[in-house]
Amino acid sequence: MSRFLPATRAGWVRLGLVAASSLVLLLLPLLASLHEWIDPDNASARYDVILGTEAVVLGLWAVSFNLMLGYTGMVSFAHAAYYGVGAYTVALYNTRFHGHILVGLALAPLITGAFGLVTGLVALRAARLYFSLLTLAISQLLFVIAFEWYDFTGGDNGVHNLQIPDDILQPRTLYYITVAVVAGCLALMYGLIRSPLGAALMAIRENRQRASSVGLNVKAYELAVFTIAAAFAGVAGGLYAMYDQQAFPLLLYWSANAQPIVITLLGGTGTFLGPVVGAVIFTWMSVSIGRSFPYQFDIVLGAIVLAVVLIAPGGFVSIPEIFIRLRARFRTAERISRPELAGLGGAASSRGESAGDAIAALDVARVVAVEAASPEVFQAEPPPSDGQVLLKLDQLSRYFGGLRAVDGVSLEVRRGDLHAIIGPNGAGKSTLFNLVTGRLKPNAGRVWFDGKDITGKAAHAVARAGIGRAFQITNIFPKLSVRQNLQYSMLAFRGITVRPWGIADRIFRQEALDLLESVGLGKYADLPAGQLSHGDQRALELAISIALGSKLLLLDEPTAGMSPYETQKAMELVRRVVTEKKLTLLFCEHDMDVVFGTARRVTVMHLGEVLAEGSPAEIRSNPDVRRVYLGELEETA
Amino acid sequence: MALDSLVLFTLAGLSLAAVYFIVTAGLSLVFGALRVINMAHGSLYMLAAFVAWFVVAKVAGAEFGFWGALLAAPLFTALIGALIEILVLRPVYGREHLLQLLGTYALTLVFAGAVRLVFGPDVRSYSAPGFLYGGVPVMGHSFARYNLFLMAVAVVIATTLYLVLTRTGLGRNIRAAISDPELLAASGVDVPRLFTTVFMIGTGLAGLGGVLVAPIGSVDPGMDANALINAFAVSVIGGLGSLVGSFVGAVIVGLVLSFGSANSYTAPWATAFVFAAMAIVLTLRPWGLFGRPEQ
Repeated sequence: MSRFLPATRAGWVRLGLVAASSLVLLLLPLLASLHEWIDPDNASARYDVILGTEAVVLGLWAVSFNLMLGYTGMVSFAHAAYYGVGAYTVALYNTRFHGHILVGLALAPLITGAFGLVTGLVALRAARLYFSLLTLAISQLLFVIAFEWYDFTGGDNGVHNLQIPDDILQPRTLYYITVAVVAGCLALMYGLIRSPLGAALMAIRENRQRASSVGLNVKAYELAVFTIAAAFAGVAGGLYAMYDQQAFPLLLYWSANAQPIVITLLGGTGTFLGPVVGAVIFTWMSVSIGRSFPYQFDIVLGAIVLAVVLIAPGGFVSIPEIFIRLRARFRTAERISRPELAGLGGAASSRGESAGDAIAALDVARVVAVEAASPEVFQAEPPPSDGQVLLKLDQLSRYFGGLRAVDGVSLEVRRGDLHAIIGPNGAGKSTLFNLVTGRLKPNAGRVWFDGKDITGKAAHAVARAGIGRAFQITNIFPKLSVRQNLQYSMLAFRGITVRPWGIADRIFRQEALDLLESVGLGKYADLPAGQLSHGDQRALELAISIALGSKLLLLDEPTAGMSPYETQKAMELVRRVVTEKKLTLLFCEHDMDVVFGTARRVTVMHLGEVLAEGSPAEIRSNPDVRRVYLGELEETA
Repeated sequence: MALDSLVLFTLAGLSLAAVYFIVTAGLSLVFGALRVINMAHGSLYMLAAFVAWFVVAKVAGAEFGFWGALLAAPLFTALIGALIEILVLRPVYGREHLLQLLGTYALTLVFAGAVRLVFGPDVRSYSAPGFLYGGVPVMGHSFARYNLFLMAVAVVIATTLYLVLTRTGLGRNIRAAISDPELLAASGVDVPRLFTTVFMIGTGLAGLGGVLVAPIGSVDPGMDANALINAFAVSVIGGLGSLVGSFVGAVIVGLVLSFGSANSYTAPWATAFVFAAMAIVLTLRPWGLFGRPEQ
């Protein structure tokens, strides 16, 4: 039972808010009766319950929109169209086929989901901006169909006179049915975003490229969330048709998208129930402004969206948070000016969730702590290689036009070895790496890994075979926590993110924490990864590589852009991890101290060919190497 | 279909294409250089049409007012464009692309409300100078002279844009921005000013399209959506960021609409044919006929 209770104070606050607002929702009809009784002459009192129904439906619509906008980072202008399709489904099923209204409501998500799937397939041929354009076109197409297909949809008149049993038609009954359906849908969606599938969506929002490199089929997930969101919009539209007893083409018109967009932004894209709060505010505004001043209302809505975009991307509900953060930053600045720096790290991390200020404090505290601690140099030597060949390149070649970037390279990397590739700029090192990892296809030659031929395989297949590449440009999910980066990558790579149930943050949690501990990031597990220092972000990438089960670690200039101190730390970490996890390392590097301090075998490339290979000592004394490569360096050094 | 009606519908399609080209060229140029989809492009088109109506109907009359509007309205939208670029877009460059979409979408709401507030919800119209009216005989039929005027303007705009892009310093910078924005900044070009200039040209073209289209259509508060959606269709087919793409896409959309409306059976579905054309192009080339895949 205790696993259902919130673990943090913020969790309790959230639970309390949800419980309080649920109570208000349940008691609303009673409050409305009270209003009517106290103020019988006020005509608007009679509409309280209907307004409540409207707000709840809008809330559902906006939350489903936020599945795309807030959780996956997709801007769709077709969401009004799916709302309209849902409304038409209920209205047409009821009037043309004389079906029961509740059966129509059950059909709405199925029909709308089918529409979402088919149109989503078209829209998702493109990505990002083009995708948004296409959703607008699709929404206009659906509008044209509703508007022009007189015989079936009633054209511009729409569908009216729904046959609804009298016992359902009572405002209070309608209200409770609506609340029950919306609550059910919200629970399903909440389960979804906490599930491994939801984790995949957030990974995609943060970094599409990285998401695909940990094994996610980005398009498939986007199509899934597009379809799911459409289905829930269909439920919302169906509920609308039920309480307003009509459906008409303007529901699908592109300007109708203003509603989910404004509501979602009002409530904040970052929270699950934010859009529901937004819906309540929106309904109140549309009654108090929209009814009497429709044009001014449009301007107000536009101004709200602009304000959110320019000032408070977290939505209006985040404004108190912005104040809190500003205040906290101010206080932190005061505290840092005092001498007791060392204690700050612990104090800040114990406060856990308050992001910005804690990080500022942590960074300072960390530098102090790190410099105070005696540098713990890694001593143990890696066990000697067992001599088995793990990676074998056989006469590998790649030409770009007339340029022979890689020309007949043969190379063997033995299991457990620490193998460096060096060479002047243009020697072909990066091309060689790209050939191994499948980003480029060779013109000739073969790549063998662990006894299997992987020549020309796609990048994600090579990753699955066990070759992990740390990127030249640091590549993580910046807003997810350090732990989530690792955990979600594991979920994705092990194929668990197809699950729309379960709680993503509880799967592989311990494994992720252990791994973070072993790369020295244990204490930053709950920080957003984007706040880590450059070197620590690379350590995180290294951890992701290991988590994905890599046997061979490819590092392309692992210390580029690092200070000498960071370089030393990073290479110690690499050596230790490679040894502990029994990995094999292949890296290329310009910094000769790093190369000769780490590698046990060195291959020298020059103009696309292998010039020499041997132990560091042999390479140092090789006259050819000295001439083409080391010579230049020593002159400049 | 007889030969004469084939020619007439082709000509009608090409005159539609003329307006689509002018409007889409602006949208596409802005996207090419700034990587921003301006959702408010159609709103500026609408705004220009209302300004032109005001100039023609209230200030100067058809003979002079039209020419005055042809100059004043695009200038007006270009100035609004400068404000939008500086106040709304600059703060969101380099942030998530969805903020640009949402920010310019917010402007469509503001403009829609403002135009209805100032001019009311009525449909209005104005005329071009008399000598642009009347017909030109084409294969025994009469073809509207104003449509020929539209095509001529589009050809002039296309040529001018081409010359500006290929022969001037500004054009060189725009092309550099399209192919490699980072290098451009590093080479000492005043990028913010360049972006404002490009955005003004783009919104000015939207305004020009709005002024030109009104004499053959009407001035109404719903014209922003139609313009935007048609411009999107053209740019999805032709490819965003390419002048040639806007041209070819406009011709395709213009012809599809013209021939789609040729008889009473297909006329209501003409728009649907455009989307079918879009779907076909997308299946073959998701980034449009002349566009480049987005990174």
